Amino acid sequence: MEGIPIRNARRGDIPSLLLLWDAMLAEFIAMDPRFALHPKAREQMAAEFAAWLQDPARIVVVAEEAGRMIVGFAAGVRRPGNGWQVPERVGRITDAYVAAPRRRKGIARRLAGRVLDLLYEDGVGTVRLAAAIHNEGALAFWRSMGWSDLEVVLERPVPLADEV
Amino acid sequence: MHFLGEAAHGEARMRLMPDARERSEHALPVWMGQDDRVLLVAADEGEGAVPVAYAMGLLRKVPPLLAATQVGEVLEVFVDEAHRGQGLGDALVAVLCDALVGRGAQVLRAAVPVSQPAAEARLARAGFGRLQLELERSLDRG
Repeated sequence: MEGIPIRNARRGDIPSLLLLWDAMLAEFIAMDPRFALHPKAREQMAAEFAAWLQDPARIVVVAEEAGRMIVGFAAGVRRPGNGWQVPERVGRITDAYVAAPRRRKGIARRLAGRVLDLLYEDGVGTVRLAAAIHNEGALAFWRSMGWSDLEVVLERPVPLADEV
Repeated sequence: MHFLGEAAHGEARMRLMPDARERSEHALPVWMGQDDRVLLVAADEGEGAVPVAYAMGLLRKVPPLLAATQVGEVLEVFVDEAHRGQGLGDALVAVLCDALVGRGAQVLRAAVPVSQPAAEARLARAGFGRLQLELERSLDRG
């Protein structure tokens, strides 16, 4: 989309990235309270963004509108496999988010596509990601881009509700 | 290895690496010495205490992003085919979960291939519910 190019993130983008991350988690929590944050989450995420931008195994890209406002981001990483199952190297999309007022314009597709391109250039042949079970929009989006279900991640609270 | 073999049989994307067995043989003694890892076996005393089922879990410390920083992971639960249907898997899950909570787990998680609904059903009986889906995509452009 004209006026909203995708580029690699820079250190100066961290405050904007944190705002988007805040908004993303707020949406997750509204869908599912199990995504409640740790009291130090924001501080931790700021440190992680700074570390990611220094880590050659990490990819962070942003969508910037009119040269001044970050309206979306996506992040990925290359990792070794689990050592038992193929593939030996796995890419992962760890985050992808577009501010609500800028959705349905193809920005998420372009952000994800850039991360996939960079992972492919780095020799990765398989990529994985996790999507919240109640996030039907995200699941529909990823499946429309050719992603298929591999595993279901289950959780059990401690203690169980009937043990309280 | 049978556990991973069954997972691979039901899901080609999770097939084993050629040296998986050798890697397991080297890893097992290390795992047995790790305080944050729980390895349980069920043995058939009638067959000379041969293990017929096992379960393995791990207490993982994660960065302070979500509320829980001590996550108990149910990694593997396997019952030999000849001994299924006797509640061994359910019993192992129960003991494993208690052990992980005893080590400080604030939440319990498990990942199950979508091709193994029986495994998910076993964990659902133990109080697990769906949190996320793990999706995969190939980037092969051949």
